[in-house]
Amino acid sequence: MPCRPGILASLSLCGGIDMFARMISNKKVALSLLALPGLAHLLLFSYVPLTGNIIVFQDYNLFLGIWDSKWAGLTHFIHMFTYEDFFNILRNTLLLSFYSIIFGFPAPLILALLLNEMRMMWLKRPVQTMLYLPHFLSWVIVAGIFINLLHVDGIVNRLLSAFHVGPIDFVTKPGYFRSMIVSIGIWKEVGWGMIIYLAALTGINPNLYEAAMVDGAGRWRRMWNITLPALLPAIVVLLLMRVGQVLDTNVEQVLVFLNPLVRDVGEIIDTYVYRVGLLNGQFSYTTAIGIFKSVVGFTLIVGMNQLSKRMTGESIY
Amino acid sequence: MPHYKSDRAFQIVNSIIMVVISLTMLAPLINLAAVSLSTADSVKLNLVYFWPKGWNLDVYRIVFQKETLWRSLLVSIYITVTGTAASLFFNSTLAYALSRPYMPLKKTILKALIFTFVFSIPLIPYYLTIRAVHMNNTLWALIVPGALSAFYIIIMKTFFQGISKEVFEAAEVDGCSEFGSYGRIVLPLSKPVMATIGLFHAVSQWNAYFSALIFIRNKDLYPIQVVLRSLVIENKTGSAPSGIDLMLSTPEQIKAGIILFGTVPILLVYPFLQKYFVKGAMLGSLKE
Repeated sequence: MPCRPGILASLSLCGGIDMFARMISNKKVALSLLALPGLAHLLLFSYVPLTGNIIVFQDYNLFLGIWDSKWAGLTHFIHMFTYEDFFNILRNTLLLSFYSIIFGFPAPLILALLLNEMRMMWLKRPVQTMLYLPHFLSWVIVAGIFINLLHVDGIVNRLLSAFHVGPIDFVTKPGYFRSMIVSIGIWKEVGWGMIIYLAALTGINPNLYEAAMVDGAGRWRRMWNITLPALLPAIVVLLLMRVGQVLDTNVEQVLVFLNPLVRDVGEIIDTYVYRVGLLNGQFSYTTAIGIFKSVVGFTLIVGMNQLSKRMTGESIY
Repeated sequence: MPHYKSDRAFQIVNSIIMVVISLTMLAPLINLAAVSLSTADSVKLNLVYFWPKGWNLDVYRIVFQKETLWRSLLVSIYITVTGTAASLFFNSTLAYALSRPYMPLKKTILKALIFTFVFSIPLIPYYLTIRAVHMNNTLWALIVPGALSAFYIIIMKTFFQGISKEVFEAAEVDGCSEFGSYGRIVLPLSKPVMATIGLFHAVSQWNAYFSALIFIRNKDLYPIQVVLRSLVIENKTGSAPSGIDLMLSTPEQIKAGIILFGTVPILLVYPFLQKYFVKGAMLGSLKE
């Protein structure tokens, strides 16, 4: 055997350890042992819950458990598709995602392009440092900060009153809920979202810009004809990935701003599953909603990935 | 790139725009600090913007006396440290095995991992599974279930595969087992990627509140984000502030102080975080 087990062999005072050492020195066995914790984790926390989806065909009761709960067939799916609540939360989820794509997707791109034009390095660094900061704050902190700014006596209302507007209680008015969530989401993630574009920008050959300048191309011309085309693959991949996650709104972000006054527009799939499923105990019914969300999400992501491969040659996952 | 004079106007306007945008990231925090340090009267009269009016440290006397804040801070530190260690352990061992050519069932395992990435597990069965293994209402629920990530594993695996084959061959000749090359070659050589992924996980662990909200019932085990949420967003002040406290500082000021209390730990590590995170964000674009 070419692979002599080093330290372990010197320890092998008795046969048992010797056998163990020889087993370990077998690469396949050793690698399988190393992979074991991760595989057990994968099985227990990812695949066992998938089989748990079976409760969607039951009237699951927490005290009876999965073995003794009554079977209910497709009742919960039928219930879901005939219940007004479901279409309302589906609509809220899609609208919130739609707005955050329309406004939130271009924001980091524009910011990256502007930052890229900055020549004063001494100013660029601190600007970047400040732009990244909100990404590291939790949603609870961010909500605390903005509730302080947006409440009736907050700074925003004081500024508005200078224009004889308001006071507006942004946090409890349904009409402002989506704009508020989307804007605060942009505030938090715009700086961070820029990084991926900045990375792509550093890959552009400076000679291209010089040649364009010699040919008399102005700033906008260069941005339009050199910078944007160079970023296009990244933009397409990110956009497709974002569209694929259209049902995956950030539950922490929405939940922290949700209150009974804005529930009609603010309740999304994830918060509904949390409130009605976990807090009110309608496990089977909300599992149906969860499965719907996962299946649609899965189909979308796989579809978007195909599209991405065809358009840019890049695969999302 | 050469500079032209016509450039200057654009540079100045652009820089002003960028500075204003970046200041909006800081302004809300400065406003909170100003509110918390002002006298109660000037806050009630809405006089405070970005600089304290008067000087009053009373808010912090009240905030620092809140035992729940300190305890939850400790809980958060604990779950962040242990959760990060768990994450690095589970992800790096599996990533290492998957990076080696002899690993059996490699393709299947990778597919099973990627599937979890695109098919999100519905919340209810996930919750019931954690309950079934008796992790709910313990800190284990916040440490272990979230530790494995297909995304981190693929990044780590890519990084491990970049280590030159000669190193492994030399180690093998010297009698190093797979455990040996994992512990003595791969881990020491992968410090940058481990640091970055560890920090990514640590920050998300520190900031998360949803899993604590679903799994933890015992108030003594609440991480800081859950406590902040109930104090600041849900207005549950715990013990009602005494009359004297209210005279010296308004509830709004106390909230501001509590929010800052929760923000300071992140601000303290921020310079360090920024350095690794910016590198790490680029790691995400690594592909097999």
